[in-house]
Amino acid sequence: MKNISFGQYYPAESLIHRLDARAKVILALLYIVCSFLCKNIISFAALALSAVVLVLLSNIPLKAVFRAIRPILFVMLFTVVLNVFWTKGESPLFSWGILTVYPEGLYNALFMLVRILSLIIGTSIFMTYTTTPIELADAIEQLLAPLKKIKIPVHEFSMMMTVALRFIPTLIEETEKITAAQKARGADFSSGGLIKRAKALIPILVPLVISAFRRADELATAMECRCYRGGDGRTKLHVLHYDAKDFLMMAVVVVFGVLLIGLNMLAIGYTM
Amino acid sequence: MSVAKIELENVSYVYSKGTPYEVTALDNVSACIKEGSITGIIGHTGSGKSTFVQLLNGLEHAQEGRVLLDGKDIWEKPKEIGKIRFRVGLVMQYPEYQLFEETIRQDIAFGPKNMGLDKEEIEKRVLMAADFVGLERELLDKSPFDLSGGQKRRAAIAGVIAMKPEVLVLDEPAAGLDPLGRDAIFTSLVNYRNETGATVIIVSHSMEDMARFCEELIVLSHAKIVMQGTCSEIFAKADFLSEIGLDVPQITGCMKLLSQKGLSVGDGIYTVEDAVRELSRRLSSL
Amino acid sequence: MSDAFIQVENLNYSYAEEDGREIPVLHDISFEIGRGEYVAILGHNGSGKSTLAKLLNLILTPTSGRILFDGKDVAEKELTEDELYQLRRKVGMVFQNPDNQLVATIVEEDVAFGPENLGLPQQEIRRRVDESLAIVGMTEYAHHEPHRLSGGQKQRIAIAGIIAMLPECMIFDESTAMLDPSGRKDVLRTIETLNREKGITVLTITHYMNEAAKADRIIVLDDGRILMEGTPAEVFARPEILRKAGLDVPQCSALVEGLREAGFAISGDCYSPELCAEAICRYIQEKRA
Repeated sequence: MKNISFGQYYPAESLIHRLDARAKVILALLYIVCSFLCKNIISFAALALSAVVLVLLSNIPLKAVFRAIRPILFVMLFTVVLNVFWTKGESPLFSWGILTVYPEGLYNALFMLVRILSLIIGTSIFMTYTTTPIELADAIEQLLAPLKKIKIPVHEFSMMMTVALRFIPTLIEETEKITAAQKARGADFSSGGLIKRAKALIPILVPLVISAFRRADELATAMECRCYRGGDGRTKLHVLHYDAKDFLMMAVVVVFGVLLIGLNMLAIGYTM
Repeated sequence: MSVAKIELENVSYVYSKGTPYEVTALDNVSACIKEGSITGIIGHTGSGKSTFVQLLNGLEHAQEGRVLLDGKDIWEKPKEIGKIRFRVGLVMQYPEYQLFEETIRQDIAFGPKNMGLDKEEIEKRVLMAADFVGLERELLDKSPFDLSGGQKRRAAIAGVIAMKPEVLVLDEPAAGLDPLGRDAIFTSLVNYRNETGATVIIVSHSMEDMARFCEELIVLSHAKIVMQGTCSEIFAKADFLSEIGLDVPQITGCMKLLSQKGLSVGDGIYTVEDAVRELSRRLSSL
Repeated sequence: MSDAFIQVENLNYSYAEEDGREIPVLHDISFEIGRGEYVAILGHNGSGKSTLAKLLNLILTPTSGRILFDGKDVAEKELTEDELYQLRRKVGMVFQNPDNQLVATIVEEDVAFGPENLGLPQQEIRRRVDESLAIVGMTEYAHHEPHRLSGGQKQRIAIAGIIAMLPECMIFDESTAMLDPSGRKDVLRTIETLNREKGITVLTITHYMNEAAKADRIIVLDDGRILMEGTPAEVFARPEILRKAGLDVPQCSALVEGLREAGFAISGDCYSPELCAEAICRYIQEKRA
């Protein structure tokens, strides 16, 4: 368990890995917009194709991509079922008891499936898979920097995120140790009803919370000793900078969005 | 002739098997720990010591080989592994971080309570365990927060002793403690063995402590047992120990230097008392 | 006087119990640590050494007495935020638990944390990060995640994070207590390098004898008082005082003590196996001569 990597960053060499982290956040947002622009089968097909292109561009193995999709398989299934049975159209395709399926339902289900899949693939390829969590935190801090003027503590949020990322593996390891220690004293975490099981967690949670506070306290002292006084006047080891490929990529996605709007005009088949 | 309390038969353990992070922690290890002995386990970090101790009470299950307690496989009835954990008590590293109850008394009672003992017996065990580790009774109703580091450590060890384990296993019981705290803990372990006849197994990096308190030693290196024997047998091989990255007690190092300088002193001297005796004998004969 | 970097004068500290009783912890402590010196404060848990560390770190304020860093009294009145900041960059602290000192998820980002706080230009941060990692011998780990490193490696990263701020003095508060022997050796070697080669003033607070043995001077603390002060040889030659202070007597010192009691007049320093073996051989030669 010591080997868990937080987030899903997948180290590889690719165009997308090399893009500026801020550009990738913007690209992810643009891509989300694109996925909502689609209305008909042509534009959805273009969207699906773009997701495939993204995966290829990022050099991320399909297996890893599937790992991102797995947790939401249930949501996707639910959406499909909901759309298939609840969309009302003009002429039913077939009916079975109280359930009636219309062709519009099948279209909607398919469209939603493509939309969700490309949303997940787009955001994970642009952000979590190709950008380290720390770059992401930095990028978000810099993109939101204008909000500092209206007294929103942007730096503090980014610092919180960094520290959280740093300590999650440490706390997971600690949880494992405490669990083993309490098991050695006969604690039983796997039998009994819900309440009994919840109660059985107390011997783990109490030491864990105490330890987290102790760590927080020590870390705060250590940070102060390293001259930390918030974000003002701080400089950075890694300064993000945009270059031509970042702007080019953004232009490509914007053009793609316009193209999708165009494709929606084509009167082919069902329109959502 | 002493009887084996715990035996390991061709035990192998691999972490994250089948992933790129695969690590062999123990590789075909066989060992025998004598009933009623105080056995030390030494080895550098990552040599497999922590895995070794977690196999003894069934916290980890070896992928290959068997762990025998009194000649019986501890995994014979997997559902009853909990009972094994009461018989083989394990104190992990920095156990004071696992205290969770409002009072020390309740925390020591956690193990006995899980054993399903009645109230009277639990109370008896709590007092017995507190006495063994030298924890004053008035501390029992205090919160763990009000205790010093050394006291907390003793309270945590009492929590395992209260289960009256036949085998008491401790991973670095004195880590980070000062000399007084360390001696208090080791003395209480020796007392526990002497009074109950239990087998005690200690993992430690401190060769001086091992030399003072253990009778038998098991030396692990790179997932294998490379030596097993009495302290004097093991420390007689000082060169081999340094080769695998381990220290020898200062006194052993000094005796070795003396014999290199041409003074013939016996091998395998590892305590100050023995060294004083040996050297007095040599120096008087000048 | 001018070459003392840390001066502690008549320092007293006591805290108030819930019932209002004053519990004294430190009694009239005075010592000086010269610029470029390597000093160890040795004491068992409860000897007052961790309180002393907190006072030096300005987490606690003394009940009375003065603490001067580089000639400036830091305990007399509350420091302004700027004064505190200036002091922090001059005096680096390394603590016991390496995990709780590292901020970032990548080693080099963590080492950069201090310089970033100082607002240094990017190239200067880069230079200092690379140099600091080289000094602690962790260059090849620059892009690793701290949680995958060993305790000793983490502690060396924490040290690199401090030296990247170019401090004049470093205080190590039980910094090797949680490490295994090889990690401890690496960290001690690093501390020695910092002192001997980089001229950084070092104060270590510890209960490990072999850690104190590396210092130029040892101050033994017991019951909130200074019990003894001297070079390692002087201190280790007094086993009775070490025992009184609840500390370990190096086995070799105990051996020679035992031999002297048995009537063999062995002379000279003998706290390490090498010194001890030499002293015994010297004795034998004298006897034979």
